[in-house]
Amino acid sequence: MKAVGARLPRYDGVGHVTGRTRFVDDVRVGKTLWVKALRSPHHHAAITRLDVSKAAAMPGVHAIVTHEDIPRNVYGHLEALGVPGDEPLLAAEDVRYLGQPIAAVAAESEAAAQAAVEAIEVSYEEKPALFDIRKALDPDAPQIHHWGNVYPHYGSYNHRRVRKGNIDWAFEKADVIVEGVYRPQAIEQLPLETQVCTVVPEPDGRLTVYSCTQAMYFSMGVVAAHLQWPLNRLKFVGGTVGGGFGGKVDTATDTICCLLALKARRPVKWRWTREEEMLCSSTRAPWHIELADAVTSDGWILGRRTLTIHDAGAYARFSPYGLTKHAFHHSGAYTIPNLRFDGFVAFTNRVPTTAMRGFGVTSVSFAVETHLNRVAEAIGMDPWELRLKNANRVGDTTGNGVTLKDPSTVPVTLAAAERVGIELPAEYRAMTSDPRGGDLLPEHLAAQQNLSELNGGGH
Amino acid sequence: MRLTVNGIESEISSPPLTPLLHVLRDELDVTSPKAGCQQGGCGTCTVLVDGEPRRSCLTPVAAVDGASITTLEGVGEPERLSPVQAAFYEKYAAQCGFCTPGMIMAATALIDRKGGPVERDEVLEALGGHYCRCTGYVKIVDAVMAASRGEVGDVQDLPVSEAGEPSVEVHGSPA
Ligand code: FES
Ligand code: FES
Repeated sequence: MKAVGARLPRYDGVGHVTGRTRFVDDVRVGKTLWVKALRSPHHHAAITRLDVSKAAAMPGVHAIVTHEDIPRNVYGHLEALGVPGDEPLLAAEDVRYLGQPIAAVAAESEAAAQAAVEAIEVSYEEKPALFDIRKALDPDAPQIHHWGNVYPHYGSYNHRRVRKGNIDWAFEKADVIVEGVYRPQAIEQLPLETQVCTVVPEPDGRLTVYSCTQAMYFSMGVVAAHLQWPLNRLKFVGGTVGGGFGGKVDTATDTICCLLALKARRPVKWRWTREEEMLCSSTRAPWHIELADAVTSDGWILGRRTLTIHDAGAYARFSPYGLTKHAFHHSGAYTIPNLRFDGFVAFTNRVPTTAMRGFGVTSVSFAVETHLNRVAEAIGMDPWELRLKNANRVGDTTGNGVTLKDPSTVPVTLAAAERVGIELPAEYRAMTSDPRGGDLLPEHLAAQQNLSELNGGGH
Repeated sequence: MRLTVNGIESEISSPPLTPLLHVLRDELDVTSPKAGCQQGGCGTCTVLVDGEPRRSCLTPVAAVDGASITTLEGVGEPERLSPVQAAFYEKYAAQCGFCTPGMIMAATALIDRKGGPVERDEVLEALGGHYCRCTGYVKIVDAVMAASRGEVGDVQDLPVSEAGEPSVEVHGSPA
């Protein structure tokens, strides 16, 4: 235990303060070409014509790639986890968000590449666009994908479900029902280093990829799948990320640079402008969350109904996984014996959404904690006391049936109260995470614990 | 056109309206100034032009013909970090490090101008146009104030720079 509790110097700190840390944009390779992309100017449209021949003949242009150049034009980050890929790397028939890449050019300079992009002949037939997830499930909403507007692969359901206990009993028994709607918005991760990549074709036929990815092995797998190559033909160099915050989990530039480097037989580099980063890179998802809590007047939460809609934007990327985490956390750090959760990943014509700090969890935590304050207000109870009463204890079970062995809600809540100078009544200050008993084990929770023991602890 | 960059004079062949940022990075291979936005909004490209902080992305090279430019590569001595560098290092003011070159240049100019301890509001003013998405700024402001008061250790530069990670000794370990 040399590191815990010690102030460790940062291993990369001297590089950072001397300017010697080499970020992807600082990699220097001779004869490097610059990359620019043709991006959709529409939120939703069919591509009716795409002709790159004039652009390809322009001075300084070395390669252009479209969907036809991609061995497998499917971007499926989570295929290994059973989430089918639904996104083309370069759009083939339809564009589903403003800024979606359609073609990419490698040329002698950024200006030459941009001029060639502007010379690509493309026409579109615009389609109605959908931006409001609350309308995604309406029968007359614009259809984003041929299978509809929700991600359909949660086992035999088209949405993520959690069922625990008897929700109808809880709502019949309740003294008060408290409802709330929460809509955390999209947020751009906004790293100071925009998406950037350099790819160098090596003499042995391999590619060296200087990547700003946050997830080297994800990106390597994604590139290999697109190229239909074995992993050992790719050498990824990375780990120096100029900020990511989730937005660099997506493989935004690497594969397109690989394709262009192979076609041009030259090193290529793609550095997004700040404008591209703001308009076309993925964001944190917006959510629509509806909560209804069945509560007793003495502060027990008997049950919770949840409807949540996660805005995936145009394609799934990591959203199905984010929603699963969201489902797991929807009861917060509290024990609620009766739960009914329905969560949908809905598609819209917004830029695809992806990970950002606390992916899927911060949204529901915001909703849950705000809602608890409303519950406290509705029954006239101190919100700290409401939380401490319902806080997870050893032996409580979560929504997905895990029996808790070392929950930390009680000590953390008490420490937070102390830090902000809240004087709690002595009986609350004396609370611990120990298994429930006495006043803290009302009948409805005792019944739940017996059930969990019958089920062998619910692991 | 000619520029003296970190004490070395060079003939510049880029066209006169080329941003100083690109001349430094692409013609002279001086890569510490970063292209965070290339539109004057973020501060990552800040360098000193005759001692004054300037956004190199918005400065046409012709406008600074003959000037003396200092970038982060020119701060500190060959074997020893400057007080601002040492304070950023010791006080964890650099996380991803992408904003750090611009921050250190602006902070260095502030401290040189003041010639003594700088106060919090002066730091906030001097770094006001510099974005950092990682640190939340507190550690950066603390580092600049400490540097201006000489409240920093004597940090040696590392002999290893480009070739791999330097080895790290753990000081003050409780174990
Ligand atoms: S790159 Fe110059 S201010 Fe952002
Ligand atoms: S340390 Fe990452 S942006 Fe400042």
